[in-house]
Amino acid sequence: MQLSFENVDKRFGELEVIKGFSREVGQGELVALVGPSGCGKSTLLHLVAGLEKPSGGRVLADGRPVAGPGPRRTLVFQEHALYPWLTLQANVAMALELQGTDKATAFREATNWLGRVNLAGFEHYYPHQVSGGMRQRTALARAFIAKPEVLLLDEPFGALDALTRMALQDVLRDLIEEHQPTVLLVTHDVDEALYLADHVLVFSSRPARVLKAFDFAHCEKSHDLSGFAAERKEILSLLGIKTEVEHA
Amino acid sequence: MSQARRLTGPKKYLAVVLAIAFIALIWQAAAWSLPSFLMPGIPTVIDRLIEAVQQEEFRAGLLGSMSRLGSGYGFALLFGIGFGLVGGVLFFFRETLRSAIVILQSIPSIAWVPLFLIVMGFGNLPIIVVVALAAFFPMALSVMNATESVQPVHVSAARVMGASRWQLLRRVYLPAVMPELITGAQLAFGNAWRALISAEMLIGFGQGLGRSLAYSGEIADMVGVMMNILVIAILATLIDQVVLEKFKQRVLRYQYV
Repeated sequence: MQLSFENVDKRFGELEVIKGFSREVGQGELVALVGPSGCGKSTLLHLVAGLEKPSGGRVLADGRPVAGPGPRRTLVFQEHALYPWLTLQANVAMALELQGTDKATAFREATNWLGRVNLAGFEHYYPHQVSGGMRQRTALARAFIAKPEVLLLDEPFGALDALTRMALQDVLRDLIEEHQPTVLLVTHDVDEALYLADHVLVFSSRPARVLKAFDFAHCEKSHDLSGFAAERKEILSLLGIKTEVEHA
Repeated sequence: MSQARRLTGPKKYLAVVLAIAFIALIWQAAAWSLPSFLMPGIPTVIDRLIEAVQQEEFRAGLLGSMSRLGSGYGFALLFGIGFGLVGGVLFFFRETLRSAIVILQSIPSIAWVPLFLIVMGFGNLPIIVVVALAAFFPMALSVMNATESVQPVHVSAARVMGASRWQLLRRVYLPAVMPELITGAQLAFGNAWRALISAEMLIGFGQGLGRSLAYSGEIADMVGVMMNILVIAILATLIDQVVLEKFKQRVLRYQYV
């Protein structure tokens, strides 16, 4: 699915969050959005998901304005978005059940998907019984089971430790390669953006504006990002992080 | 695990047994110090209870009370949960209903008896309505308040997965408010039970528990009075601590694993 942002504005009352954002995102592209906290990156995802409406401009999915939430565009939240009263299996199955799949099929599919994210054997655990990493694996399974065409990731691994995060980035990368959804990834982690994304958009603070866009399409990447040191440095300095040792 | 926050297993049972023993001791001490026509002792009352249970009339009265309680309480649960949930998604409705409840709740439900008695006539109906009214308010209020603390991310997640309004209510709001719903149901049961006994004592229709208690008082049959009080206490405790508690642990299983 193709996404277009046409001169999108978003205000919450007096607060101007996004101003004049335009961008085309092609089918199967993975675009990472990095920027300071509270700059409106998550709001962009909510606009695509249909949870919010733009105050000005248009958000188009395959040429049609986004009218409301729908299972073709799914959102993965930072954490705590699993239902604590459902087992991991039931959490994943719910994505299918809400679309009318019968319970038995949905649960069978959910078991398959939990296996895909290396959670076989944890079907009957409740979210509070497993680790944060396992919860986010479940959240990924819940997102992919509905075969979305657009995947919106709102700092999906932000609450995880560095090693767990890298393991999950690999899980995510495999799933994306296999299913080829169009992906928007909001992250605070520059390395995560470099590792996963075809394009990285660096945003200013509120109202969000693109400071610079980086193109990494068709780059071979591993967790060793030393080949991208220059870009990494540039992104960090755009975000106001010092990257040079100061000499007195 | 950090320090245990509640008693479990045999210790918990011991605490319950101690509480019962304490109540029984006070009762028996009163019986020893007062003449027996004023305060009968425990054995006398138990004998009378065993006798009463074998009588058709007593059992029919008990059944009548239970069915009035069941209808009134059942209605209150159904409407309380329904209104509370709808209030959760319709904000204006919620504020209106909450204000109405705050006003109406200040009226003791038993105060409605004279009105209902004349409007609805002498029979089961006014008692059932009083019971329902007494239980409805805490039920609706606790569900409605709980809907406010449903996590927005849980609602958004379901909407993104394509949930309809009805699915949101049933699959997200209802399970999310379940802990408060059950606390509300227990609170509502207490109210319903008090309303039932007082309405029966006041209206005196049929052969219910309340009526039987009031009648024993009128003829100064203290053994009968104490026996009815004993039955009231045992039944309420059984329903609240056994039926509702078991239901709670079943529905909130996920909190106990």
